[in-house]
Amino acid sequence: MQRSIIRDLEGIVGNSGVLSKPEDLLLYEYDGSVEEARPEAIIFPRRKQDVVEIVNLANQYNISIVGRGAGTGLSGGALARQGGIVLAFSRMNHILEIDAKNQRAVVEPGVVNLDLSRATEKYGLYFAPDPSSQKSCTIGGNVSENSGGPHTLAYGVTSNHVTGLELVLPDGSVLRLGGRTMETPGYDLTGLMIGSEGTFALVVEITVSLLRLPEDVRTLLAVYDSLEDATDSVVDITARGIIPAACEMLDGWTLRAVEAYVHAGFPLDSAAVLLIEVEGVREAVEAQATEIVEVCGRHRARDVRRARDAQERALLWKGRKEAFGAVGRVSASYYVLDGVIPRTKLTPTLLRIEEISKRCGLVIGNIFHAGDGNLHPLILFDHRDPDQFRRARAGGAEIMQLCVEMGGTLTGEHGVGMEKNELMPLMFNETDLDLMRKVRAAFNPVDRLNPGKVLPLGKGCGETRLRPFPQSAAGNT
Amino acid sequence: MSEVAVSLLSRLGDFVAAGRILTDPVSLAAYDVDGQRPSAALLPASVTELAEILRFASTERLAAIPVGGKTHLHIGMPPHPYDLALDLSGMNRLLEYEPQDLTLGAEPGVTFAELARHLRENGQFLPLASPFPDRATLGGIVAVNADTPFRYAHGTARDFLLGAEFVTGEGVVSKSGGRVVKNVTGYDLHKLLIGSLGTLAVMTRLNFRTFPLPPGQKMFVAAFGEAAGAFAFCRKIASSALQPRIVDVLDPGAAELFSAAASLLLPEGCWLAVIEAAGHNAVLERHARDLSAMSREAGAGEFVALDEVQRDRLFHCLRDFSAMAFSATSTAIVFRIATVPTAIPALIGEARSAARAHALHCAILIRALGVVYLALLPPDRATAFPELLSCSRGLMDLCLNSGAAPMIERCPREIKNTLSVWPPAGNEGDIAQRLKCVFDPQTILSPGRFRGGI
Repeated sequence: MQRSIIRDLEGIVGNSGVLSKPEDLLLYEYDGSVEEARPEAIIFPRRKQDVVEIVNLANQYNISIVGRGAGTGLSGGALARQGGIVLAFSRMNHILEIDAKNQRAVVEPGVVNLDLSRATEKYGLYFAPDPSSQKSCTIGGNVSENSGGPHTLAYGVTSNHVTGLELVLPDGSVLRLGGRTMETPGYDLTGLMIGSEGTFALVVEITVSLLRLPEDVRTLLAVYDSLEDATDSVVDITARGIIPAACEMLDGWTLRAVEAYVHAGFPLDSAAVLLIEVEGVREAVEAQATEIVEVCGRHRARDVRRARDAQERALLWKGRKEAFGAVGRVSASYYVLDGVIPRTKLTPTLLRIEEISKRCGLVIGNIFHAGDGNLHPLILFDHRDPDQFRRARAGGAEIMQLCVEMGGTLTGEHGVGMEKNELMPLMFNETDLDLMRKVRAAFNPVDRLNPGKVLPLGKGCGETRLRPFPQSAAGNT
Repeated sequence: MSEVAVSLLSRLGDFVAAGRILTDPVSLAAYDVDGQRPSAALLPASVTELAEILRFASTERLAAIPVGGKTHLHIGMPPHPYDLALDLSGMNRLLEYEPQDLTLGAEPGVTFAELARHLRENGQFLPLASPFPDRATLGGIVAVNADTPFRYAHGTARDFLLGAEFVTGEGVVSKSGGRVVKNVTGYDLHKLLIGSLGTLAVMTRLNFRTFPLPPGQKMFVAAFGEAAGAFAFCRKIASSALQPRIVDVLDPGAAELFSAAASLLLPEGCWLAVIEAAGHNAVLERHARDLSAMSREAGAGEFVALDEVQRDRLFHCLRDFSAMAFSATSTAIVFRIATVPTAIPALIGEARSAARAHALHCAILIRALGVVYLALLPPDRATAFPELLSCSRGLMDLCLNSGAAPMIERCPREIKNTLSVWPPAGNEGDIAQRLKCVFDPQTILSPGRFRGGI
């Protein structure tokens, strides 16, 4: 990037607010996915006006901007695919207000997810979306990706917990949508914005709704000798009208990898475990926990343990939330997938994934939000081996195709980003995609923000994919 | 319809089978919107037919309003112009229902009662509860973003509509979202359609998440001499561990309205908090115990648990408040005002004072501690109009100045000649117009009915 542009950027945020040395840029060419793209500069705004000025400057020099929170995303959403500036919100990290009486909080986008719940705990409140990365991911990132987490089974995803946004549009104007009220007359632009992956506008302030902490929680660990018995239990629990707060599953390979690292108490010889949590009014929790134990027993769970105290509960959840880290200890690289299927299709889908694993010659572990059918297959590979990497990508594409075939979708919570934009035609035809393109253009007409994401790249627009999917796996792209 | 348009009428017949185009005045009267009558009503039976009609309408610039059970056509401003009614009541199939997945897909013309029956057979429900459930259709309920007594626990359609298929104003068949309970693939265009009053697209399929019916339910009513007591009670509930599914508050005017209309034995002259708990017996007993204690602490004069018959009657009143209030007098205005819980007491106090100053009665329902339905009821028609108009203007300003989000849900047609039912478009108006252009560039869908003149 030209030195004069860097100087102009430094003029907005000071010398310490801009990174442009190659060794610094290197750190920002990754997120949590297997994608890579190097930006030309990183800029750290401290306030809304900084963001406005950065956008104006980008317009002046015709440079693209990519918003970034903590870089924990799993679809390349925060990577500068076409170069340009990464606008990192890590210094806009203030909780501006906690309005406990109305169960609202107003935050800057760089506030870390868990920090908000910690700050509101003293009021008996918390922010419900809880991605596994909640210790580091930001609420701005959650809004961009419409993030979920284990407890979204009962409480919904980010869009269910955001009532207002303040945005900087690609023309530099500031727009406020919604507010603290439950609804606003007019189009639900807040709902449309959430999950738009930074391709419509830059979010500079977020108003979230907070939930009351439950008075009681029961965490159960059901242990199975067969994967099918575990998935049947999931279907049966919901069929009986029980919506647990969370219902997570780890297959045998994954639980062994996790156990070696976390020592959560997962039996090493089991084929699968279910981590089920019910919470709410004490009497409801007790009744539901009893019924779940009965259902799991009926489906041949060899053991159903109840966490005895908060410490044991925390340990079981550590086993779930740090699973990706655990896998990192046993494999040079891994590719985290994110697909959704109807929960009644869990068993046939897992069997097909096993076949794909054999065909690719790569281990695929399964850890997922079983309650809502949100799969996270982990494909293990060695990134130093180009053939393994190719097979991992091809296997991933095949699993995504399988999810769509089963009546599901390409992503439940990680977003499309630059990982799956060429797979979008598996779900949407050209007419659907064209309408989405036009909606994006209503906000972002010259593709100033986060170019090359969400929608397939058009032919002849001069854009080159970094690593094309194999034609056979990408369907009719 | 103009002379030119009359010549187009016969060509419209090409798109639907005989009998599914109505042009006689008697039939068309049913499609009146704010006193305006279309020149034809078309009843498409398929997405293909609907798309062809819209392509033709777009080319010929014929303004069309999608219509379901005709139960909410009073919402919004008068259409301008209004050439065609697109009656979706014939597209009424339940396309897909997987009880074990708790998901369904349905055409827009399915009535709420019909869907509820299917779901009930499988021990499930959809937390939409529209007035006139035998007529109200899913498409209509979503298009007006009707809210329900279950809002406290389940939110509104935006919280459980998983995806939609629709036809744009250009006749383009499209979709967004999906059929599973969790999905972030692509832009959530279907969220735009909720509450859009048919100004962007005509919905042809709606995918919902369903919910298990609770094993039991119990409704409680606590009566208070003053509003402050009812609000204090609700604050205690909101900050407790209890998880009721209905938390609504009625002012004495609403209680009187319900007593008269539904043979309910509600205490007179009181503010009433209506709470419903759901779950197993132990959960219901816990709610009964705690709510009773909390109501006493808040100064309730009475706390009762309703039997099932009384419960159903009161539930229907809560659900139908807006329609009941509107039909209680010859002229009435019903506001729907979203605000935060702490702002409600002051807002209501000022609104009641304003009503008194204009010699108007009031009936108020506060839903889920966040949406105030406020009906201004004139005692007689003779003085009604100027007082209603003046009071409504004042109320709109009061809401906007206090950070609330108001709209007028129902009012006499004459009021709309001088007062918009929508608040002025804010700075999001420009984006809203651009989106309208994307979906409906010829502005043929429900023109003029929406916020910002859309």
